Order: sequence, then structure tokens, then C-alpha cells
Amino acid sequence: MKPAPFDYYRPATVEDALAALGTSETAKVLAGGQSLIPAMNFRLSQPDLLVDIGGVEGFDRMEVGPSGVMIGASVTQSRVMASDEVANAVPGLRRALHHVAHLQIRNRGTICGSIAHADPAAELPALAIACGATLFLQGPAGERTVDAGDFFLGPFWTDLGEGEIITGVHFPSEPADTVTFLDELAWRSGDFAITGLAGALATRGGSVSGARMVSFGVSGAPGRMTGAEQAVLGFSAGDDGSAVYGAAYEDGADAVDDVHATAEYRREALGALAVRSVRAALSTNGNGTGV
Amino acid sequence: MTLDSPTRINPMIRHRASHIGRAVPRREDRSPLMGRQRYIADLKLPGMLEVAFVRSPEAHARIVSIDTAPALGLPGVHAVFTGADLADVDLFPHKILYIQPVRQPALAVDRVRYVGSPYAAVVATDRYVAEDAATLVAAHTEFEPLPTVADLDQALAENAPRLYDDWPDNYLVNFPAEKPEVTQAFEEADHTFSDTYVSQRQTGLPLECRGVLADVHDGYFTVWSSTQSPHIVRTTIAEMTGIPEPRLRVIAPAMGGGFGTKTHIYPEDVVVTWIAGKLGRPVRWLEDRFENLVSAVHARDQRHDVDVAYDDDGTIRAIRCKAICDVGSGEIFMPGTAPVFVTGGCLTGGYDFPNMEVHHFCVVTNKTPSGAYRGFGVPEGMFVMERIIDRVARLTGTDRVEIRRRMILQEDQMPYVMHGGGRVDSGSHAKGFERATEMIGESLERARARYADDPDVRVGVGYTNYVEPTTPTYHLTTGFWAGGDSATLRVDPDGSARVGLGTTALGQGTETTAAQLAADALGLDPDDVTVVMGDTDRAPYGLGAWGSRSAIVMSGSILMAADRLLTKARDIAAHLLEAAAEDVVLSDGSFHVSGSEAPTVSWSQVATSAWVRTLDLPQGMEPGLEMSGYFEPPDLEHLPDMSGKVNAAASWSNGAHAGVVSVRISTGEIKIEDYVVVHDCGTMINPMIIDGQVHGGVAQGIAGAMYEHFQYDPETARPLFASFMEYLYPTCSEVPAMTVEHFETPSPEQPLGVKGCGEGGTIGPAAVVAGAVDDALADLGVEIKATPVTPSAIREAIREATAGGGER
Repeated sequence: MKPAPFDYYRPATVEDALAALGTSETAKVLAGGQSLIPAMNFRLSQPDLLVDIGGVEGFDRMEVGPSGVMIGASVTQSRVMASDEVANAVPGLRRALHHVAHLQIRNRGTICGSIAHADPAAELPALAIACGATLFLQGPAGERTVDAGDFFLGPFWTDLGEGEIITGVHFPSEPADTVTFLDELAWRSGDFAITGLAGALATRGGSVSGARMVSFGVSGAPGRMTGAEQAVLGFSAGDDGSAVYGAAYEDGADAVDDVHATAEYRREALGALAVRSVRAALSTNGNGTGV
Repeated sequence: MTLDSPTRINPMIRHRASHIGRAVPRREDRSPLMGRQRYIADLKLPGMLEVAFVRSPEAHARIVSIDTAPALGLPGVHAVFTGADLADVDLFPHKILYIQPVRQPALAVDRVRYVGSPYAAVVATDRYVAEDAATLVAAHTEFEPLPTVADLDQALAENAPRLYDDWPDNYLVNFPAEKPEVTQAFEEADHTFSDTYVSQRQTGLPLECRGVLADVHDGYFTVWSSTQSPHIVRTTIAEMTGIPEPRLRVIAPAMGGGFGTKTHIYPEDVVVTWIAGKLGRPVRWLEDRFENLVSAVHARDQRHDVDVAYDDDGTIRAIRCKAICDVGSGEIFMPGTAPVFVTGGCLTGGYDFPNMEVHHFCVVTNKTPSGAYRGFGVPEGMFVMERIIDRVARLTGTDRVEIRRRMILQEDQMPYVMHGGGRVDSGSHAKGFERATEMIGESLERARARYADDPDVRVGVGYTNYVEPTTPTYHLTTGFWAGGDSATLRVDPDGSARVGLGTTALGQGTETTAAQLAADALGLDPDDVTVVMGDTDRAPYGLGAWGSRSAIVMSGSILMAADRLLTKARDIAAHLLEAAAEDVVLSDGSFHVSGSEAPTVSWSQVATSAWVRTLDLPQGMEPGLEMSGYFEPPDLEHLPDMSGKVNAAASWSNGAHAGVVSVRISTGEIKIEDYVVVHDCGTMINPMIIDGQVHGGVAQGIAGAMYEHFQYDPETARPLFASFMEYLYPTCSEVPAMTVEHFETPSPEQPLGVKGCGEGGTIGPAAVVAGAVDDALADLGVEIKATPVTPSAIREAIREATAGGGER
């Protein structure tokens, strides 16, 4: 369990990082290394060059402004979790990070790294979609932004182009009438989700007025639950939840079987998670009275 | 019974402070807690090279060709060896009762039978280069795939592919049985049912993987191996390689656990030693976690097809059980055939149930060879027995506690001979169960109250009553060794003692308990006792630590050696005191004449006379103050009688477990709300260490009940696991707090009344969790028949029971 030989480079500027990435077709960006290094030790990933962005100027910025939170590419999950300012602006972020692995992993793992890695069972890609986050990319052709909802294409597959890196991610401030949440089932605390659900729910007059719901760990990529998003409109605390359950179950139609759970289980669990998290979100938001 | 094996502390010792029975703090904890423990991974020798093994990616294939030239061309590579280089070495030295002869090559020669099978070894300056070269060897190996056998059904199918061409089928063991009284009970009983129960494939999963470092100097070999049995490794390597045993020193250094997986003789032990001899320099191999998962022995993986005869009142009349173990490729010594016999012999657990007919089978498949793991077959059997009892209770409307009360062993039945010949000499089975029931009743009420307002959550309780065979014979397992072990005791001129033991330490606190035993046996303080184990040059011959044997064999051998030592010491003391030996006693660490406090002679004075001032010794006495004892446990049988019965364990501890679980119906999420253990391992040497053994055992039992599962692709027999992403062990977040109580029923037959306690904790949880989930979901008609009980499995069971999904 030792990696194949590779070169290592730690640039100080984003320009140098991009130039280095341009020198090799197999080069990889190293951020926290919590997924990449194990993959290299298994020789599943054999880059000939690692570009460590931990020292890139400006990548460590974490800024809270009126529009939301800007998180640079080298900001660790623990740092985000520890910030009360961030938690006030985007409460869902801290809540979601409790589900991300363990303390030691969050101490090294980065927000942007998890998004770039795009593990289908990871929490942060789904949360980014649910929050309507924007990704800032930079590559040989210059800078661009992508909505998180358009970024994830499949298992470990994103819109990230050749030689392109994520320089930061912007999470918009949570509107007053909205609750962002994340719930998941994992057999052990800290594991990747067997079935997970991230969402943002707007409420008015005690019932749901708008919803963005994203499943993860269910199929090959985090995905919007279009059926459940419709079914949940008008949902209030007294509803029995069967319509939401049924819609979420159908949203899980492309669920996968693996050693941990059957596809059928994942669909049922997605239904149950949808009902319980919508109920919980309603009660969080002014005990269902909304705004 | 050996003539010369005392069962008590020598009565010459008076007024001593007893250390046996006290929670003496573990002396072995400081180094690992400070990060200063020296494992094989911490050992480095000048000029040491590193070995990487090349392992089969195929489950079943012929090796057509291996081109080692590209690997040899890599800078830093010193050598590449293949199966052909060691073709004469057969690691399966002894013919064993009941089993087909298996040949275990050191490195696979022309055929591989499981993914992970080592077929070449690369030696390089460091592990990085070695793995680069191993990748090259793998890329230049041509395999011709053969049809694969992924599970029992495939192995036993008509015209199944055979793993061994010269066998008629895939049975490694084929041992049917028939009991006329069982047949008769089936004819007479009110009802019968048939069912199938499955215990999944797991492994012991020590924190420290395996490792071997071998050095050769002047024809003298030193081998550091992370093994539970250094003497057995020495004897076997010597036999395999022709190295004379006195020129081979095997050291089991500090170990990070073994749990049975490190009792086996692995190809790597022999190959690394052989390479050191071949290259004339030190070489080391450290197993990585992937290798550990595919090449250290697996365990469990049993299926039980049962027929049960019972009456309307809940009386179980007879059980017929076909116990079938999937032992993987079978290419391991000791073979993985013994656990299923233990399963069969212990299936009735703590119950009085003679009408049991067990048919034993072991079947080879294209999977990692299976072998020992804590519990050694007992958990699988208890799962079956308690499932049967719960089912009969449900079918007849009998209370689950009541039905167990009727069957449980009573003290006046002791000694009780079990259906397979196991002889339970004593125990607290009935009162242990009563106590566990009482304790868990309160937990159940609390849990019910906790979830009273949540209609999605159900609460249930499960029970088990087991026996834990300890200190087993190794003869039925290896065809060679038996069951005894040895100790040497020496008192040095400063009056402190050194005890050498044939058993070993792998984290279970043996150093502390051995010091307590030796201290009491010599009337010393534990701080005055140094314990030496795990080194064939420094410690006496012994079979190592497995089978919960250390407590009994240490007690016996230390008492024997101490008696001999005390006799000589008293003669010396009497001479120094100018008194008659029979008048001399030992109290508070000093010898004196009985009835008079002074004058006294200290242990130091006696030992100084024995070793240094030998002119002070009685005339004609041989100097020295060192004695040994080799203890053969009484009543331990090594071969079955004509009917196949054998008391294969020297003693039988017992325990009752009960647990409360909550189950969330919509998601199948399961939580152990409370867990209680009432345990009895006879005389307790160190209650704190015993508690630790029980806690750790229960944690591993929960691993089997709910988490760990090696799964294979049924089409290709390839593992569906490569890391801890797929193979889930429970962490401290998943293992519940538990309450452990003890009864202390001393064994009337074993020294000091000790029985052994290493495995009991592991036995209970599968039976308890399954019973509790069944109970929680009883109104849905759910019956758990296999482990692990995962949320996905629970949902599947609910769907099946309610034909479509049940309640959401």
C-alpha cells in the first residue's frame, strides 16, 4: 500500500499552480489529501505530479459578507465548522459538517477538495447544490463560475476542465424564511452516507412554500429530488407525509446496490429521510409557524 | 492427571497478602499509551531489505508464466522469488483426523485458489521500490482463469468446479452423523420445522497487521514474527526449512492484538525466513491492511440447516443440524476445519439438551482460507440455538424466558456431559440467567418509556446462555501438539523472581496476571516479579496464547515450578536457620521457624546462598534456584472416542447475555439500548482484566452481529472489499456501554479453580441482537436468520414478513 513514484510541487501563486498542472496530463491537485492519498496508496490513482495548493496565496481566505460566505480552496472543514460567523450566515454548513467524517479528517480535509473529488456519497457536494452555492474555477482559459447544481456529472466526475482548479466556493446567506438541513443514514458515525439528503426549505404560514432537495449516496451523483420538491409544497406539521415519502421513493429510482445496502433499501430510506427531515426543518423554523 | 500438579498455593506460605483476585493495574499499558511500544514495524536492522508479496488477482487460475526480468531490472530490487524456488516446501506438515490432505505451498506454484494468494516475493531496498517491482511482476504474469466457486451452493452443486483435482468433490470435511434417539424423537414429537441460519464471513482484525523480520548470522536465525505461538512457529519453520531448532530463535515482540488470526503458520513466516537465509541479510515484511483483509485467515462463514422436533408445550425434543463451514481455499496450517466441530459440540450452550445430532462439513471455495477467530465456532452455534428456542417459543406461544428456564443447566447436574462429549465441571448457568433477566428487565422498561411517543420505533429484548470452552487440545486441530504449557521460575540473588512462560502476550494483560500468580505462589509482591514471554530463547517451550488457555496453563505451570522452588528454598533456609525443613514456613517474604517470628531468612539470603555464596548451602546440594513446570491440564482429551465424543477443552466457563435494542421501522436503524453480561470464569485472577476481556469480546461480538461482512462476487469469487470502506468494524461510537457482573464458581479440577475468559464476550451478541430485533418486530412477524443484522437486512425482513413493505 505504497504509492507509485510521483513528483511534488508546492506553488505560492495560482498562476504557478496552473502552469504546473499544465506540464502533465496526470497531474493532480493536492488539497487536504483525505481521499487522494488513500487512492494513491492503493495505486488506483497514479499521478506523476502532485500540485499542493496548501501554500497558494489567497486560497486560505474565508470571508463572510452580506451575500454569503466565500471559502477558499485550502480552507479546512474544521476551520469552517469552528466559525460562528459562518454558522450565522449559513447555519446548514456547520450542521452538515458534523456528518462529514471524523475530527481528524476534517482537520485536513477541505470544503473545495471534497466538492472537486465528487464522491457520490459525500455530504458537501449535495449541500452545495441544496444551498445554491457557486463554484469559482480557474484554468488555462481563464476564470469562470459554475452553479453547484450544474457541476456534478457522475461518480468522481465534474464539470472541472483539463488543468482547471476550484479556487473557491460561495455559499449564499440563508434567507430568513429558509432552513438548510442535511440528514443521512450511515451504519457508523462518520461514514459516508448509505442514503443522505440535503435540502433548503422555505416556509410561509406554517407550511412549505419552496424546496430544494438533493439526495446523495443513493446513486452515482448527488441529484435534485424533483418529485419530492413538488410533493412537499404546502406540507405542514400535521400532514402524514405519505405523499412526500412516495415522491422521494420515486426520486430514488436510480438507486444502486452495494455491499452495504440494496437499492430498494436506499429508496425506502430516502423516503423516510425526506419525511423526517422536512418535519424537523419545519419545527426548526419557528416551530412550524414560518414567516 | 499428572502426579505432580498442585492445584493450590503451597501451604508453606503463611500470612501472605493475596494478589490473586485483585484489580492490579496492568503493567503492560504504559509503553503503548506513551507511544513507546516496539512493534515489528519499529524494528530496523543494519542492511535490512523489505519484502513485498505479489498476490493473485484471480480467484482461481493456472499460472501460465511469470516473467521476473522487468522487476529485477528496477534499481533497488535485490531479488524476486516465485513458487518454483520453494516448490519443495509444504506448509501443511501433519495429517489431521477427519480431513482431506491439503498441500499448502509456500508460494503458489502453478495454481492460485483465491484472490490474495501469494505467488511471488520481491526483495528491495525499501517497501516503495518493492511494491513498484511487485506491480511489474503482476503485469508480467499470465494466468489462465479457471471456473470459480464462490459459495457453499456453488461448491456443492453437481458438476461443481473442483479446487483440488484429486479430490472427488469439494468437501474438506465430510462427517455425517446419526443418532437413533434423535430419529425417534422426530417420530414422536407433536411438530417439526426446518430452517436455515447463516453466520457471515469475518476476520479477527487485529489493530496491528502481521509482520516478519528475519535475520541470519553465523548460521543462527532470529525471526521476529507477530504471532500468538512463537514456539510453534519455530518448530514448524525448522521442519519446513531444515534449520536446526536450537539455531532458530523466534521472537513475538510487542503485539497489537491477534484474536486468533495470528495462531496460524503463514506462508510469509517461512518465505521471509528462507529469503534471509538465501540472501544472508535481514529482510522484513510488514503486512498492509489490504493484505490483512485478503490473506490473514477469515472465519465464521457457516450455514446451518436444521430440523427441529418440538411439542405443543414448548418442549424441544430434538435438533438435527447440518453445520457447513465455507473454509475458503483451505490452504492454511492449522486448517480452518476445527471451528465447525466446536460449533457442533457447543451448540446447546448452557442448556441441558442431549438430543442433538450434528453433521459436520467443511467445504472449499475460491476464497481466503478461514481459520481461528475469537469464539472459534461457538458464536455461530449459539446463534442457531437461541434462534431455534425463540422460534419454538413463538410457534407454541411459550414465554421466551420460561422456555429457557426449563432447559438451563442446574448446579446439581454438574459435572454435565454435553452431547458432543464436552464435560462442564461446574458453573452458575441458572442463576446467571436469572440475574441477567432481572437486570435487563429494568432496561427494557426504560427503553419502552423512552420511545413511547414514537410509533416508528419498537423495542425488544434478546437472551443467550452459553458455555465457553477454554484451554482446548491442539491435537485435533494440528494433528501434532497437545494442550500443555510450561513455566520457569528463578529467584535471583536480590530476592526478586523471574518467570518465563510458554504462553504469550498480545494485549490481554498476561504479564500482569502472571506476576500476580507468581507473586502469590512464592509469597512475593507482584512488583518483585519479572515476566518473560514470546521469545523461544528466553522463555520455555509452550503453545502460546489462544483458546482462552493462558489462565489455566499459567496457573498450573507456575504452581508446579513454585512448589519445586519452594521445596529447595526451604531446605536452604532451614540450613541457614539451623532448623528442620518441615518446621520452616514463609510469611511476608521471609522464611522462619513456624511459631517463632525471629530469626528470619529472606528470599535474597536464600537466593544468594543458592547462586553466589554456594559454600553456605547444605552439604551435597546442587547450587541454583531455578525450577520449571510443564502442566498438562487434567481431563483434557486429545482424541475422540469411538462415538466421536471428546472433551476437547480443559474447562468450561459460562455466561448469560441479554440486550435491549430499539428498531426504527421506517429505516431499519437499530440501536443497542442496553447490554448486560453475567459472567463466570471461576476464580478470578484480576477482575479488571476480566472485565476488559468481556467488554472487548462483546465489542467483537457486536461486530459480527451487526457490521463486519466479507462479501464476494458470486460470478467471479472476487472480494467485494479492499479496505475499511467496505469492511465495517464498530467503533467506540457504535459499541454501547454495558454492565458486567460476575459469579465465581471455581473449577473443581483446574489449578486455583480458574477457567479462562478470553472469548466469552464474543459468543453472545449475535444471538442477543437477533433475538431482540425479532422481539421488537414480533407483531410484524419478522424472524432474523442471518448475521449481520444491518438496517438493510431488517428492512428486507420487514418487507418479506409483511409482503410489501409493512408500515412506513
